Amino acid sequence: MNGIAIVVTLVGIAALGGGAILYVRARKLAAVARASDDDVRHRMYELTILKEVGDRIGYSLNVEKIANVIVGSLNQFIEYGAASFMLITPEKIIFKADLDKPVSHAFLDDIKVRMRLALNALLDRDLSQTPLEETITGTAMVDGMNEPVRSFFNIPLVISGNIAGLLTVAHTKDGLYKEKEMTMLYKIVGQASQAVTRLEEVITVERGKLQAMVESMADGVLMTDTDSRVLVANHALRNIVSTPDGRDVTIFDVIDACAGMFDVRGRLEESIKQGRTFVADNINLAGSIYQIFLFPVKGANAGGGTVGGGVIFRDITRERAAEKMREDFTSMMVHELRSPLDSIKKIGELLRTPSIRDDKAAYDEYMGMVYQSASNMLELVNDLLDVAKLESGKFEVRKKPASIRELIEERVKFFETPAHDATLRLASSVDEHIPHAILFDQMRTAQVLSNLLSNAIKFTPPGGQVTTRAFLHAHGADINQEAALAGIPLPLSEKDPRFGTLQNSVVVAVTDNGEGISPENQERMFNKFEQFSTSIRAGEKKGTGLGLVIVKGIIETQGGIVGVISQEGAGSTFYFTIAV
Amino acid sequence: MKKILIVDDDKIFSKVLRDALVAAKPDAYEIVSVYDGEEGLAKIAELKPDMIVLDIMLPKLTGLEILEKLNESGVTIPVLMGTQFADLEKISRAVELGAKGYIVKSDYSLEHIIRQIDDILKD
Repeated sequence: MNGIAIVVTLVGIAALGGGAILYVRARKLAAVARASDDDVRHRMYELTILKEVGDRIGYSLNVEKIANVIVGSLNQFIEYGAASFMLITPEKIIFKADLDKPVSHAFLDDIKVRMRLALNALLDRDLSQTPLEETITGTAMVDGMNEPVRSFFNIPLVISGNIAGLLTVAHTKDGLYKEKEMTMLYKIVGQASQAVTRLEEVITVERGKLQAMVESMADGVLMTDTDSRVLVANHALRNIVSTPDGRDVTIFDVIDACAGMFDVRGRLEESIKQGRTFVADNINLAGSIYQIFLFPVKGANAGGGTVGGGVIFRDITRERAAEKMREDFTSMMVHELRSPLDSIKKIGELLRTPSIRDDKAAYDEYMGMVYQSASNMLELVNDLLDVAKLESGKFEVRKKPASIRELIEERVKFFETPAHDATLRLASSVDEHIPHAILFDQMRTAQVLSNLLSNAIKFTPPGGQVTTRAFLHAHGADINQEAALAGIPLPLSEKDPRFGTLQNSVVVAVTDNGEGISPENQERMFNKFEQFSTSIRAGEKKGTGLGLVIVKGIIETQGGIVGVISQEGAGSTFYFTIAV
Repeated sequence: MKKILIVDDDKIFSKVLRDALVAAKPDAYEIVSVYDGEEGLAKIAELKPDMIVLDIMLPKLTGLEILEKLNESGVTIPVLMGTQFADLEKISRAVELGAKGYIVKSDYSLEHIIRQIDDILKD
């Protein structure tokens, strides 16, 4: 029993002791709770203030407005005689003070002196001579009072790491501003500064993106305000109006550049005034042709009025040239088709005259002309059809095993008569290692050879020579060495890097010792529209130029490459490849 | 015999016109043909023809350029301007430069062209 009683007693003592400890702990906890209650209330209050200030500031970048909002909110949680701020602008210092209780002029003057001194120290420069623009709001000032500044403290306004100004609270009472108030004010000002700094950063980044885009645009871009002052002018525009580096573009540069061609200022003013977009086409400025767009620039805010005008200069020289080339091409084709038709018609009319019809020699000659005119026309129509197929991607080749040697020999033989008539020598040499049968479209490749041979014959002066060669190219081998071994005088790879990756192929080359082709024309020869319009080769021997366009189409459809290498005065080599 | 100079690079047209003129009036015309602008200008000075059938589009020197040169040197030989198409701009320029008439080769019959030549030669 005793044992049990002892245990119970001990438990009782322990319970009492525990209770005492619990009591003490509870007291302590209550005290802590009260303190944290204060804290929570204080924090809630802080948050409310911060939120209110934040809401009122919004997304403003206007530091003066923000300072106004902060000063206007201070009297909710802090006691002051004067809450004021100074903001530094390039020309002046803006000073605003809100008075919560009557103070003397001397009191306010003292604040101003203290603030200027603080700014001098913060910025390490003398602002004592900078003009002050001051606004006082709140309670009226009273003269004759002699209450000096007894409590005072400054908070610098820092935006993007720079001192933008100073915020100050001051009072005639002593010892007012303790840690709590100061912390609170720092928080408010700090938050506002941070918000503005972040916003400025975002805007700087966005503006940077926009600027980079405008700057790298190929079109000339100009923006002016409503008084024709240039706000934006990108690199392309500087080039168009030839403004020297290091000087800003003015509207006069643009007016001068457009002088006599386009009334840019008048049109821009009209555009701004009427709120309309204008487009001017085909304006010739210093040798280039431009399309010019003029439009009013509206303010960024909804319902914002016109803030200026924009001008975009688009260089359309190439488009116009291409358009002209297409037109020239069409009229050339029409001419080429109508000419032989007209000849046939006229001959038909003439042959109704008995004296000519009955003259056997004249009759035969005219019939020959009819035949030739009709053949020319048919050839042209076939060429046009081939080009149309090439352009629509419907051009087809039919590869079958065949002998390239036989094809070359057959074509060279075919051209012997016209070559002889032109007092030219034709020769051919085909490498004996070329496989007897390789895969290619025999008919189309014959067309390619015919074209190259007839061109060579046409453009080589009497006494010259046209040689057709075929040799093997091994993948990775030096094409120039292979060509030189085959007897071709010009280095094929000089301007044709495609040889670097070419698979094992047969290279067929037609070399003449005619007048040669200028480097500029060599590049243009295989393009439709390009090469026919100017006489690429001298003299009257102009063709439609479709032949080489088709040659390129046939060879590339077969998977080969085609090109020309030439030296003016030393002849040309046209070459194509067939994979083996 | 009236001397006619035909300056045209279209050799078939040139030959057809010559034969048609001769067939129409075997002994009325002496006809000379040249095929480019430079040759044409040289032949005009050498031959002093009674009239010229001059194509507008010629190699080396165009028909309009030849007309200008004739005007500059005060030569007043009547010119019948030939064009492939009815290119109004070029035709009116030719008339401005004093061409007596024009033919649109693809539209006019040989008979019509010969009549125009005769009309010019009659003046």
